[in-house]
Amino acid sequence: MSSLFLMRLCRLFVLLCVQVLILNHVHLLGYLTPLIIGYMMVCFHRGTSRVSALLWGFAIGLIFDMFSNTAGMASASCTLIGLIQPPLCDAFAPRDAAEDFTPSFQTLGFWSYITYVFIIMLVLHGGFYLLDAFTLANWPLTLAAIIGSSFMATLLIMFIELLVRSRK
Amino acid sequence: MRALFDLLIQSKHWFLFLLLEVFSLIFLFSYNGYQKSVYFTTANDVVGTTYNVISGITSYLHLQEENNQLEATNERLRKQVLAMRQQLVQLQQDSIKRLPDLPQEYDIIPAQVVNMTLHKANNFITINKGEADGIRPEMGVICSQGVVGIVYMTSRHYSIVMPLLHVNSKVSCRLRNSEYFGSLIWKRGYANIAYVTSIPRHAPVKKADVVETNGFSDIFPAGLPIGRVQGIGDSSDGMSYLLRVKLFADFATLREVSIITNYHSPERRLLEQQASDPAKQDSILKAQEEQKIIVEEKLEVENPQPDKTDTIR
Repeated sequence: MSSLFLMRLCRLFVLLCVQVLILNHVHLLGYLTPLIIGYMMVCFHRGTSRVSALLWGFAIGLIFDMFSNTAGMASASCTLIGLIQPPLCDAFAPRDAAEDFTPSFQTLGFWSYITYVFIIMLVLHGGFYLLDAFTLANWPLTLAAIIGSSFMATLLIMFIELLVRSRK
Repeated sequence: MRALFDLLIQSKHWFLFLLLEVFSLIFLFSYNGYQKSVYFTTANDVVGTTYNVISGITSYLHLQEENNQLEATNERLRKQVLAMRQQLVQLQQDSIKRLPDLPQEYDIIPAQVVNMTLHKANNFITINKGEADGIRPEMGVICSQGVVGIVYMTSRHYSIVMPLLHVNSKVSCRLRNSEYFGSLIWKRGYANIAYVTSIPRHAPVKKADVVETNGFSDIFPAGLPIGRVQGIGDSSDGMSYLLRVKLFADFATLREVSIITNYHSPERRLLEQQASDPAKQDSILKAQEEQKIIVEEKLEVENPQPDKTDTIR
């Protein structure tokens, strides 16, 4: 349990560094900024309790907000992911999956994993950009930012996943 | 209770989710200026709209009460209007507005009749205004219909009026639209009939002519209506008409009267008194003679006569 906790902290540290130092300065087409901190939530195994997922999500979002000057936006979005990730994982996982089942290419298969990741990224970016814009006056641009950023983040997570799994 | 407790335990992640989202939103609105301003603007709109809806519902519920209040107010105002209308009618009946406009030097003091006799040879009217109110003897008294009489005596708060219905009453009058004048007297009997004497026989008099004051005295201004000619007869000496006049003033119902004050009256009386004083007349003649001499001497100094010797030369 403690090794899992430490591993998550290490992963959080690395992801925050990449997000804050690199990706926060990427504005593709002027408004597409992928948030890969959601990868932390993607990797939660099947047996993770909802309370734990919620607290982790809130903490990850809060730390990201502190470094990105986006107070409340990421914490609210990541908390939302913490609510939907456990049932979503259950939905995608095989019926006879173990308690420590972790979603990945190997365990879920390529398309299922991409769908799973894209749904989580869509929720994360949806919450984040809606709170950022805080209006539906310019909804086409907001929608484009949500979908575009989710797509980019999914691609990046695929890349990270491939990189990590290939090392293993 | 236990079931409820179990339900709360089972749903604890929902409560935690809501709690964390609330924290997030607090951070959002506390540290982001744009979101904060949008939130407060929207919140104000929502609160305003809510209050508006609540106010509409509340006012609708209170409509019956307001309706009752309005009914009561309407009733009260209706009564006031009726009372004021009656008062207006009364005032119009007893108002001096129906009288011709008085000259500037005259003023009006309203008073009420507190006692009156009608069927004696010497009738008197008591009114509730006296010296304290500026009433003095020999002031004219009128009502809305016409002339009533003349103030005879005054006390501090009351006055006695000698009405036209007094055998010693004598008011200078004239026929309207002509310059023929006479005197109005009363001969006892009817309380609404008086007589005009001294109208010359060549005066064009006909029935229904209006008799009015002629303004010779300072008591009444000219033009105040007195009555209407009802019959034309001859005087005892046969030299003039004796006109039977129906008085406009209804003494039987007389309540409101007005006393006419003439600001110039003392000045006029003083002048007339001086004019009738023989000693004063002599002194005035002497003064005029002296003035004439002074003027002649002055003219002589300014225009000297030419020297006769020089003219011969």
